[in-house]
Amino acid sequence: MFDFGLALRALPEMLGGIGLTFSLLVLSLAFGFALAVVLLLMRISGRWFLSLPAQVYIYVFRGTPILVQIFIIYYGLPQFEWIRDSLFWPILRDPFGCAVVALSLNSGAYVAEILRGGVLGIPQGVTEAGEALGLTARQRFVYLTSPIALRLSLPALGNEVVSMLKSTALASTITMMDMTGIGRTLMAEYFAPYEIFVTLAIIYMVLTFGLQKAMARVEHRMGRYTRKEQ
Amino acid sequence: MNALAGWWDDYFWGSVVIAQIFFVSFIFMILFGLMGAAAKLSQNRIAQSLGSGYTVVFRGTPEILVILLLYFGSAITLTGIAQLFDPSIRYVDIPPFWAGSFAIALIVGSYATETFRGAFLGVSQGSVEAAQALGLTPLQIFIYVRIPEMWRLALPPLSNHALSLIKDTALVSIIGLNETLFVAKQAIGSTGKPFTMYIVVGLIYLAFSTVITLSFMGLERVANRHLVKDR
Repeated sequence: MFDFGLALRALPEMLGGIGLTFSLLVLSLAFGFALAVVLLLMRISGRWFLSLPAQVYIYVFRGTPILVQIFIIYYGLPQFEWIRDSLFWPILRDPFGCAVVALSLNSGAYVAEILRGGVLGIPQGVTEAGEALGLTARQRFVYLTSPIALRLSLPALGNEVVSMLKSTALASTITMMDMTGIGRTLMAEYFAPYEIFVTLAIIYMVLTFGLQKAMARVEHRMGRYTRKEQ
Repeated sequence: MNALAGWWDDYFWGSVVIAQIFFVSFIFMILFGLMGAAAKLSQNRIAQSLGSGYTVVFRGTPEILVILLLYFGSAITLTGIAQLFDPSIRYVDIPPFWAGSFAIALIVGSYATETFRGAFLGVSQGSVEAAQALGLTPLQIFIYVRIPEMWRLALPPLSNHALSLIKDTALVSIIGLNETLFVAKQAIGSTGKPFTMYIVVGLIYLAFSTVITLSFMGLERVANRHLVKDR
């Protein structure tokens, strides 16, 4: 029934795409985080002309499927002449560039909300203490708000890393040969869904497990000052 | 905008398909979530490990993979079985609609499992004791005390699960269902306007998300109405 030989042959081939999967993941998370910080600052700025666009952005990107976002960017944008003439065309012409752009834009919206949750979780007393010490708003943000908010949002950020790993699989829909892309090619060749997709699912589960463990370690380390010394 | 003329009805029927997948998978999602939570909360060791196995597998695998596996896996199994009886049969599959609905319900159900588990644990012990003191049977306590209190706690995360479901319906287009992304692909073939066509799909999903968010806000108001003070 289950052809282990085929599964074992497919395994190294699909693992060949792990580099691409990880490049997509790391780049999108990095750009997404940078975007999220900007969105967060806009949202908590207290000025409506900054916070409203950020809110609309977050609403739109969280309210539509990533697959649709990827298609709009990869298939949709070349419809316009000025995009094809623009500076960004080398990135948008390339499926890898498009996948990174789409995943980053998407991740930015989610991470911005996560970080905002962290900022809202900061006790009022901390800000007041900062004010009493005469710190400026900028200093309070850099030295008080950011480190605490980051620690508070770490568990949710861990989930976001895992969900981004799963989202990278969607890059296979725009011809990328990441692990899922290779898996789907093998599937078309052998038509053996169980052997190929179950093997691939196991790879993803192992990666998810590893990422969760790694995030737990980061959480443990960042929360070390909250634990009492024995 | 002129390019869209003649495609509106196709988009409409595509949206109807999305709504149908959503309703079917929502019901299954609640079912899987409750079953998963029941398994995880039970005293039975085997049920517990089945429950956690379910959440680990479906939360650690990309959605697209689950959909592909369920659709093609079921097709190859069904074809194999059918060929035992009639070797002339070439291909049997579960309709993509059902395979897709089932797949996304399984995925989001694994998240709902944790939600329901937490919500059942969040039911205050005092309410249950009060019900026992009033002489209610365990079944009555479950229906009149645990379920209503659990719902109130579970609604906010359920709203997020509903949003995940509606967005996951887009993935069902990969196994060839004629929903909006499929309509867009056809429309692009004849008009050559990919941006316009996919933006319409995005707007349809945004509308669905908005309706779902607002409905859950209404449901939460109903669930919490006893907490609002009369003036």
